[in-house]
Amino acid sequence: MEFQSYQKPATLDEALAALRTAHQPLLLAGGTDVLVNAREEHRYQDRSVIDIYGLPELTGITETERELIIGAGVTHAQIAASPLVRAHCGVLSAACNTVGSLQIRNHATIGGNIANASPAADSLAALAILGAEVEIARGGQTLRLPLSDVIARPYRTTLEERDLILRVIVQKLPAGCRYNFYKLGRRRALAISRMTIATALCVDDHGVVTFFSMTMGATFPKPLVFPEINAMLTGKKPTDEDIAAVAKALSDKIPEIAGIRASTKYKQPVCRNLCERILKQLLGGESHA
Amino acid sequence: MHNITLSFRLNGTDYTVETSAEKRMLDVLRNDLGLTGTKEGCGVGECGACTVVLNGEAVTSCLVLAGQMQGADIMTIEGMSETQIGSILQDCFVEGDAIQCGFCTPGFIMSAYALLLKNPHPTREEIREAVAGNLCRCTGYKPIVNAIEQAGLRLSQS
Repeated sequence: MEFQSYQKPATLDEALAALRTAHQPLLLAGGTDVLVNAREEHRYQDRSVIDIYGLPELTGITETERELIIGAGVTHAQIAASPLVRAHCGVLSAACNTVGSLQIRNHATIGGNIANASPAADSLAALAILGAEVEIARGGQTLRLPLSDVIARPYRTTLEERDLILRVIVQKLPAGCRYNFYKLGRRRALAISRMTIATALCVDDHGVVTFFSMTMGATFPKPLVFPEINAMLTGKKPTDEDIAAVAKALSDKIPEIAGIRASTKYKQPVCRNLCERILKQLLGGESHA
Repeated sequence: MHNITLSFRLNGTDYTVETSAEKRMLDVLRNDLGLTGTKEGCGVGECGACTVVLNGEAVTSCLVLAGQMQGADIMTIEGMSETQIGSILQDCFVEGDAIQCGFCTPGFIMSAYALLLKNPHPTREEIREAVAGNLCRCTGYKPIVNAIEQAGLRLSQS
């Protein structure tokens, strides 16, 4: 790849200092998106690369009572294997496990996945139903923004030129929550998702839903959740009609938000059928497949 | 050109290399060090032919920037016969006819090596998952998965 300059800071402070002064900075973490884009001639020739891969301050996953805090430099493979993520946010672990191939998951980072803002990024629907927020270093301050405010539209974020993603914060799911992450692609490995569906659902001893969140990825211009749809099952012992109503409401969001596109005719019924199937599985007691 | 000096461990030997920061790890291995066992197929992380093991994890070296080799412990196909796992894999691939044209073989061996390092007794499903990022267009996947399965069995007997 072609660039103006390259530096590899050893600490976060050094990285932030470099970011303040660099001419047209380009942050590079795993690099699995940047190195593919760099095959386009001269794409990054004016950029100053700051390589933040492996910065110790950006690694590690910790927990508070209600949240998991994931360093921006944590790889998808680390998230998929993390006992903390599996215990409290299993849907994210499942989503990260479907990204690319093992070789990509071993090197690509969650912060990079957000910064790249691919509409087909597999982590995003799972992050959305976990109420993800992004912690950003901006001009000497640390900001915490909802994920849906950070991603603006396909491949565009609201991040400023000298921002650095520090951490991703997700809400822990209630104990005993069932979840499902479904990826629709042309083949299992290395497929660009046509659609992903992330679901988390808790049911009490009487079969009454106490928590429900479900959304699609690779479908909307940015990660979205729909509180009014999530409310449709909560407090109920869902019947087949309730499930069908949720599936219809979610699939109706496709033309409503993304507009009528060539793929809508395919995506809308597929979404409806898959949502019904997933909900029936989860309500029937099956957790992640 | 932005020259950088990289120090790393490669196949058990310490190296210091002066190279361009604009290169990929794959270029450093093949062009600077003459280690052409690691192949370039697609160059975009889809085919797995350039797979190497970086700090114990399989990665596609076409998507790793040279600077990220600094301080790393790297294994490539050239170092395999000196390791117990690599040597067993080599025997199993040869005996199991798991190599036809051989272009994908270094990548498959490195993915299998990384798997067996962590999990010496993988199931068939775990093997398939570990090599899902490696494409083969002529040998066929069955003999390859069989060879890795066989290597796991031999590893447990040795």
